This record gives sequence, C-alpha cells and structure tokens, in this order.
Amino acid sequence: MAKTPETAKKAPSKAASKPAKAKTAKAGDAKSGGAKGKSAAPAETPSRKVAAGVGTAPGVDAQALGGELAELRRRQPRFRGLEAGHRACQGCGEALGARLVMEAAGPDVMVANATGCLEVFTTPWPQSAWRVPWIHSLFENAAAVASGMEAALKARGHRTKVMAFGGDGSTFDIGFQALSGMLERTHNVLYVCFDNEAYMNTGIQRSSSTPHAAATTTSPAGSQRMGKRHLKKDLLQIIAAHHVPYAASASVAYAADLRRKVRRAIEIEGPTFLLLHVPCPLGWGHDGAKTIEIARLAVQTGLFPVVELERNELAGVMPIRQPRPVSDYLKLQNRFRHLFGNDHRARQEREHLQALADHNIATYHLLGEEPDPLDTEGADTVRRGGLIA
Amino acid sequence: MPVLTRGAYAEPGTSLAFKTGDWRTMRPVHKHWAAPCHGACPAGEDAQEWLARFQEGHPREAWETIAHINPLPAVTGRICPHPCETACNRTHYDSPIAIHALERWLGDQAILNNWSFPGAQGVAEPAAVAVVGAGPGGLSCAYQLARRGHKVTLIDALPEPGGLLRSAIPMTRLPRDVLDAEIGRILDLGITFKPHTRLGDEADLARLRQEHRAVFLAPGIGLAKNWSVGGQVPTDHRPALELLKEFIAHGKVPTPASVIIHGGGNTAVDLARVMKRAGVAEVHLVTASGLPGPDTEPGDILNVVPRELHEAIEEGIIFHPHRTIQRLLMRGSKLMGIEMVSLRKLPGASGRKSRVAFEGTETILHADMVIPAIGENVDPTGFEALLGGAPYFRPADEWGRLPGHPDLFVGGDARGDRGTAAGAIGDGRKAAEAIDLFLAGQEPVHQRRPTLPYDHLNMAYYEPAPRREPPVLPVEQRTDSDEIEGPLPDAEARAEANRCLSCGSCLACDNCWTYCPDNAVIKTIEQAQDGSHYVFDYEYCKGCGMCATECPCGYIVMEEDH
Ligand SMILES: Cc1cc2nc3c(=O)[nH]c(=O)nc-3n(C[C@H](O)[C@H](O)[C@H](O)COP(=O)(O)OP(=O)(O)OC[C@H]3O[C@@H](n4cnc5c(N)ncnc54)[C@H](O)[C@@H]3O)c2cc1C
Ligand SMILES: Cc1ncc(C[n+]2csc(CCOP(=O)(O)OP(=O)(O)O)c2C)c(N)n1
Ligand code: SF4
Ligand code: SF4
Ligand code: SF4
Ligand code: SF4
Ligand SMILES: [Mg+2]
Repeated sequence: MAKTPETAKKAPSKAASKPAKAKTAKAGDAKSGGAKGKSAAPAETPSRKVAAGVGTAPGVDAQALGGELAELRRRQPRFRGLEAGHRACQGCGEALGARLVMEAAGPDVMVANATGCLEVFTTPWPQSAWRVPWIHSLFENAAAVASGMEAALKARGHRTKVMAFGGDGSTFDIGFQALSGMLERTHNVLYVCFDNEAYMNTGIQRSSSTPHAAATTTSPAGSQRMGKRHLKKDLLQIIAAHHVPYAASASVAYAADLRRKVRRAIEIEGPTFLLLHVPCPLGWGHDGAKTIEIARLAVQTGLFPVVELERNELAGVMPIRQPRPVSDYLKLQNRFRHLFGNDHRARQEREHLQALADHNIATYHLLGEEPDPLDTEGADTVRRGGLIA
Repeated sequence: MPVLTRGAYAEPGTSLAFKTGDWRTMRPVHKHWAAPCHGACPAGEDAQEWLARFQEGHPREAWETIAHINPLPAVTGRICPHPCETACNRTHYDSPIAIHALERWLGDQAILNNWSFPGAQGVAEPAAVAVVGAGPGGLSCAYQLARRGHKVTLIDALPEPGGLLRSAIPMTRLPRDVLDAEIGRILDLGITFKPHTRLGDEADLARLRQEHRAVFLAPGIGLAKNWSVGGQVPTDHRPALELLKEFIAHGKVPTPASVIIHGGGNTAVDLARVMKRAGVAEVHLVTASGLPGPDTEPGDILNVVPRELHEAIEEGIIFHPHRTIQRLLMRGSKLMGIEMVSLRKLPGASGRKSRVAFEGTETILHADMVIPAIGENVDPTGFEALLGGAPYFRPADEWGRLPGHPDLFVGGDARGDRGTAAGAIGDGRKAAEAIDLFLAGQEPVHQRRPTLPYDHLNMAYYEPAPRREPPVLPVEQRTDSDEIEGPLPDAEARAEANRCLSCGSCLACDNCWTYCPDNAVIKTIEQAQDGSHYVFDYEYCKGCGMCATECPCGYIVMEEDH
C-alpha cells in the first residue's frame, strides 16, 4: 500500500496527555479474585493456608491460561482489523470507533483513509496497526480514492467492500465535494466519518462540525465571542438529500448499535454513510476515562441524535426516555468551560445549546412513542455473558 | 517489481512492536469486592454469587453455592428478616432484589428434586465432636463438621430436632414438612442425633468434654425473663413464648375478649396473630420500638420480618408503638387494664441510649389479659460455671471461642445478641470452621473483602425492572395451618434473579473488552486466575481508565503503576 513517508512519520505530539484517574484503589486490593464459577471465599472465612496470591500480572495469568499473551491475542473471538500499538491518546474515542467499525466490517474490506488523527496514529511508518488493505489518500480526497478503488475492484470482478474513513474536517469541509461526487455516482462504498468535532491532528482548529459555543484554537472563548459563533452543520441531512439508500449516525457509547449499523451499511450495494460521534479527550478537554460517559451524554441530552435515514426518510431513532440537561454534558469538557462562568452570556449560550438539543428531540421524535421502559432500546443493557447485539 | 519513488508500505499489524504500555501511570486491575448483600447476611451467604449461578441458568449450582454456607435455605428463605435486602445496592436505583424469595425458591427446588449437599474437602484425621442443641445453630455446626468428615454427636433435650424453628415458629410461616426435609438431609450425613438428652440432666458437660475433642454449645435461650410492672404481676400471667409453644404443640391458646401483649419481637407478633385468628376480638401490642416510618430510625423499628409486620396490621392487630406499660389496673387479683405512657430510646449524658418516658402522655387501655413477651435468657442448668451468673455467653469471640476453654465453642441465641435463624446458622458455621482448625492445631484467619459502594456501579448499563413479589394469601383465607406466603412462579423467579447487578463481581458483560481503545483487554475462553475471562495486556494498556469507568459492576479499579 502506497503511503508517503512524510505524513507517515508524523506521530501525534499529544500522545502523553494527562494520566487518567478513575476509581482509584489501594495497591494490593486486586489480590482477591474469584468471580465466575469459583466458590469465592465468603466475606469472612478462616483458611488453613494463606490464600495463594492471585496476581493480575500478565505473565502469571497467561501461563495459568496455558499460553502467551500474544497467543491469547491471536485467539480473540473477534476480527482484529485495527491492532494495539497505535499512538492514539489515552482514552481516544476515534481509535475506539475505528476498532469497533473494523470488528463489525470483518476482513473482506479495503480502506481509503484521509489525513487526520486516525491516519497518523495508526501508521507511524514503518509500522501499521491495520490488518486489512489500507491506503492513505490526502486530506481532501478519501471519497475520490475510495471511488477509484471500488471501480477497479468491480472491473476485476472482486466483491471486496470498500470503506472510506475521514475525520470531520475531512468530511464536512475539505473532502465534502469528493464525498458528494462519490454519493452522486452511487459507488458501492461505506463512508465513515469519525466526528470529533474539530481538526484535532493539526491542533484543534474549528470545523463546520464543531458545535456552537465550543472553544477551539481558532474559535477561542474571550471577550469577543463565547467559542464558536456558528452552528454544527447538519451533514447527515445533506448526505440524505443525495437520496442514498442508507445514512445513519452512531456513537461509540453504543457499541451494539454501531456494529449493527456497520453490518447493515456493508450489506447494502451502493453508497452508504455513517456519522460516528467520537469524543477526543485532548481536543474536548476531558478525562480520558470519561470518553464513553461523554459520548453517552451527547446522545442522552439530544445534542447528538442517533438516527437512521433511508432514501432521505427517517427509518429509525435511538429513543431517549429521560433526556438529561445539556449542562451535564457540557460541564465535563474544558471546551465548554467558559459556559460556566459569571458572564451573562454563559447562561444565554447554555440555554441556546439546550434549545438546540430540545429542537433535535422534537424534530426526530427522540422521546419515543411506545411505553418501552428501555432507553436506547437496550443497546447499552448488559447481560451476564455479554451484550445483546 | 516497480520501484516506489514517492511512497511506502507497512506490513499489517506491525504496530504491535510498539509497546504503548510505557505511557501508563495508572493501571487497571480486577478487584473482587464483597457485595453489600453478602456483608449483611448473618449466615454469611454471598447472594451475589448464587444469583450469578441462577442468572447463568444453573439453579442447582446456585443452591449448592448457598448450601456450602447455609444448609437450611428453604427455612431462611421463608423466615429470615433478610438484612441482605435492606443492604442491596439496587435499593438506591429502584428496589432491592427479592433475595429471600429466591432463596426459598431454590430451597424448595432442592427438596422437590432431592438434590444432595455439595461435597466438601475432608480432613485427614476425623475427630469426635459433640454439639449441644439441635436448633439452627447446632444443626449448622453439625452439618459443617460432618461434611468435613468429623464424627458428630448432636444432643437435644426435646424429642425432635429444630429448636425454636419447630417449637415456636407458626406453621403459617414455616411448614413442618419443609423443616423436616431440610433437617433430615443434614442428619443423613451420618450425624448421631440423641433426642431427650438434656445437658445437666441426661448428659453431663465434663463427660462430654472427656469423650469429645471439642464441644459446641447452642442451647438457645429457654428461660423467660422476669417480668413485673412496678413490682405488680397478675397471678395467672404466663410468658408469650410458653403460650406460643403450647399452641404449636397442642393447637390451644387462651381466648379472652381482649389481650395486651407486651413486647415487640417475633414472639409478640406471632402470638398476637395466633390469638387473633383463634377469635380474640381485640389484640393490642405495646412496644417500645417504632413502626417503620419517616420519624423512626432504622435501628428503632420493631425487630420482626418486615412483611410479617405488614400482614399483622392487615389482620387487625392494634400496635401501640413507642409505648410502655407504666401501671397495671387490677381489681383484686384480676386484671382490668393497663396505663401506657409514650417513650423513646434517647442518648443520655454518656451518649448511651436509654428509655425516656414522657410525663403527661399516660393513657388507659382496658383488657382481660396481659402477656409479657420481653425475651428470654440462657437456661444455665448443667453449665452454670461457664456463664458465671450472666444471662448469655457474652465474652465469646467471633468464632464462638470461650476464653479459657479451648475445646468449648458457643453460638446462636445463647450469645444474647443474635436473635435470628440466619445468625445462629452463621455462628454454627464459623464455630465448625474454627473447631476444624483447632483440631488441626491451627488458628482461624479472617479474609474480608471490602464492600462495593453504590457509586462504584455504572448504572447506565442496567435497566429499570420491577421487583417481583411472591403471592400472599388474602386475610380472609388465612388459617392456622396453611402457609401465608407462596412461592414465586418459576418465570418470575428467573426474572427476579436477572435484576441482580452483580455488585463487585465480573459478570462477563464484555464491556472492558468492547470499550478498550487499545485492544489491551484480552478475552479468554479459559478462566483466568482471578475467575474472570479477561486479562489486561499491560504491554499495550495506556492506563486511560475507560474500562474501569465502563465496568458496570465495579470489578475494575485503577491503581498507581510504578
Ligand atoms: C416465636 C418466634 C418467632 C421467631 N421468628 C423468627 C423469624 O421469623 N426469623 C428468624 O430468623 N428468627 C426467628 N426467631 C428466632 C429464631 O428462632 C432463633 O434465633 C433461632 O432459633 C436460634 O437458634 P439456636 O440454634 O441458637 O437456638 P434454638 O433454636 O433455641 O435451639 C436451641 C436448642 O437447644 C436445646 N437445648 C437447650 N438447652 C439444652 C440443654 N441443656 N441440653 C440439650 N439441649 C438443650 C433446645 O431444646 C433447642 O432445641 C423466632 C423466635 C421465636 C421464639
Ligand atoms: C490540503 C491539506 N490541507 C491541510 C492539511 C493539514 N491537515 C492534516 S490533518 C488536518 C485536520 C484533520 O482534521 P479532521 O479531518 O477533523 O481529522 P481529526 O484529526 O480531527 O481526526 C489538517 C488540517 C493537509 N494535510 N492537507
Ligand atoms: S439468610 Fe437471610 S440475610 Fe442471608 S441471604 Fe438469606 S434471606 Fe438474606
Ligand atoms: S444487586 Fe445483587 S449483588 Fe448487588 S447487593 Fe443486590 S443482590 Fe447483592
Ligand atoms: S481501557 Fe484499555 S488502555 Fe484504557 S485502562 Fe483499560 S485496558 Fe488500559
Ligand atoms: S466490564 Fe464487564 S466483562 Fe469487564 S470486568 Fe467488568 S463486568 Fe467483567
Ligand atoms: Mg476531527
């Protein structure tokens, strides 16, 4: 796969972001194991011998499991399209999103990837984290390159699915005409936009996907403005207006929903589009441990509606039974920090964002009609033994 | 092969050569916490663990998990005041798991299908051990010793085993066929049961100690406390427990037109209900404790199974909470009624709580009979020296060891601060474990896991679900013999078990495996050493903490990485 060494060598400089603090535990607390299938010691039990130290050190466990970790990694019961060792930040939503998309897509795919974080952190030459044929296009032309790949495969009689990956900058802004052309020419390509709502790879510049009032390096908050003045572009509707068979939004917080949508889009012969919301701990200014929590709140507040459109008709929504106030989402992120100061505009902008969320809820009927007690229709309901897909 | 002048390629998956684990300052580890239900169970059951087996669709394994700890689940499932449910984390979300109802369901399945007890590790040198008292405490101890291979002799003064479970608890709450089935299964382990054998009468403590390497004493509390009101006592008064036992044995109970029962425990409430059903028009219960409500502290509520209280009120028992009897109204030796006064348990100058009666709140209550139900002490006949005049075996340590008597162990109600079947069962088990170790010349050691607080759960992954309540006979259909609370239907039981959040124990939900952006959680078919099916690959884990945040049940915590 061709790839320019120049771009490939670039490693994200933000790799060493702040260490994440989650539930902190005292050292040694992990000693008492025992969850499934073992008769665990009761809270108070005398024992003849001191319980054998159950460590969580990888070597110990791997041996107990009869194999090296590398071997266990090879035996994972899922397709590892995007492997470890990539250079994404701690808690990167985009890396997670790409991993989940690859898992659902399976091995019979080829990818054209626009310039951006995903491209850079996965391919620090001479290494690559990808395990499918993958090509780095330019910032602006992933859809055009994918169109060419698809045409070539078709000409040779291959049925391998082509996917195009791009960030929001690449998709909403500079690569938009190439994407529009790809849709218009009805190429059999699934385009996935990894929407982290700014140009992250080059240092958090605003894009047309950056939400209203978010601070970026080119839409700073200050005396003149409260972050970005303009609104987040409603790209999904523009895509749907191309009359494509399938265009949907999804969130990394709802893996089961995302997998289903990838599979559905791949099955469709024709141009399909997925807008995947992926928090960026560095660019949004949040704890990397909270990536999923924040992605979930974006959905639960109504700020990021999760919907499916078929031929420009609404085909499905992920309902929110009990919407959360937008401030729950905003206050976890530094890009919205200025909305919590004493400035009178802070309150106004918070109310503005709340109104935008309410508008989404009303437009897409997100509250749902049936008395189903499950919000998100069970996409985030855990069951013993695994998520229901 | 064309020469690439502008461009390069890389082999698939070669990023694995770069170990991102170096970036880490914190690392995720699995941590098996104690679920609150576990810490709260006086018997020591880990409801989380057996509910997990239930959720997996293995009810027999669920029952066996209980039976390792408690050999009487069909009994405790029926009569336990279930502090486990009070502690259940799900209370903070919607309502607690109906643990008692599921315990009963499993206990009933075991009886129905004749399941036998799970095996236990035997001992190298079996020893002869005597157990005094065949109540739940003695039975539990005998069971735990017998299944380890010891030769157990169980003696009781009464003709049949069961203690108060048989002699005092009404059949409407505990059918005797259920009791017989669970006790029979214990005795079948090869325990020598000697009925009609009273320590201090047919048996002698010195002899017992000579013939056995260790003795466990669980005689319960059989001696009614002295009762009088300012020195007054009606000449013909009889303690409630005596009347209740007589009713259980012979089906007869006095039926005055109105009665006042003085006390707020199980005995008071059970007798009140029996007398009401026998036709006593007015049954009053005067108790210093409070009824559940906003102005009653949890520790001040009547010490009975919560639903029993509810049913008693339904049946028309008149409660006088936060009251005591100040004076008996007598005409000659005949009781006419009582004078009640309000009181509360309040802290005094030292901080210790004592009862404070409030002047000016006196009221008169007329009745034909007053029955004290204020509790019992240990009957020390035959082992007076061990008690030294005290009403209970207070100085015993948590394993039931009596200071100065390495071969003597005590447990159950006789300790004075137990009062439940589950408590006696827990004492019996702990003593058996300590006896087993003592016989091998070893000391018991604690293994306590910290309890998982509610805020360590990630509730985003659970859905609201109503608690399933077992069916209850309507008041007009209640008799003296039929069980009042029925079993949960099978499908309901399964649904109820599925509500458990698996506090602090991996439920194999795949969340960590799904959400790690770095493929650093490896899923294993085989069980990892800690019992889960996931291992962290620290060569790549960047320590972001996402797996810990998204683990629904708190099983992953982040710790400093050096
Ligand atoms: C009316 C009533 C209702 C109750 N309801 C509940 C309830 O709903 N839930 C609950 O958890 N608990 C309830 N309890 C309490 C529960 O029954 C006791 O906590 C439990 O039975 C105590 O068990 P134990 O083994 O310590 O003693 P016991 O059950 O009292 O058994 C002691 C045994 O030792 C025997 N014994 C005594 N002295 C000697 C001797 N010297 N020699 C030989 N044998 C002797 C006795 O005959 C008896 O069989 C209730 C109690 C009563 C009285
Ligand atoms: C034509 C062109 N303009 C600018 C750049 C520099 N550039 C590389 S990546 C990038 C931003 C990428 O933003 P986005 O598409 O949102 O992806 P992200 O890094 O946020 O994932 C820019 C401006 C470029 N490579 N090519
Ligand atoms: S014995 Fe009682 S406290 Fe223990 S699990 Fe059963 S109902 Fe709960
Ligand atoms: S939810 Fe389950 S594990 Fe947690 S306290 Fe309740 S019964 Fe125990
Ligand atoms: S999510 Fe992955 S990288 Fe992050 S702490 Fe957990 S195992 Fe490590
Ligand atoms: S996230 Fe799920 S699978 Fe992973 S440790 Fe927690 S309970 Fe187990
Ligand atoms: Mg971007």
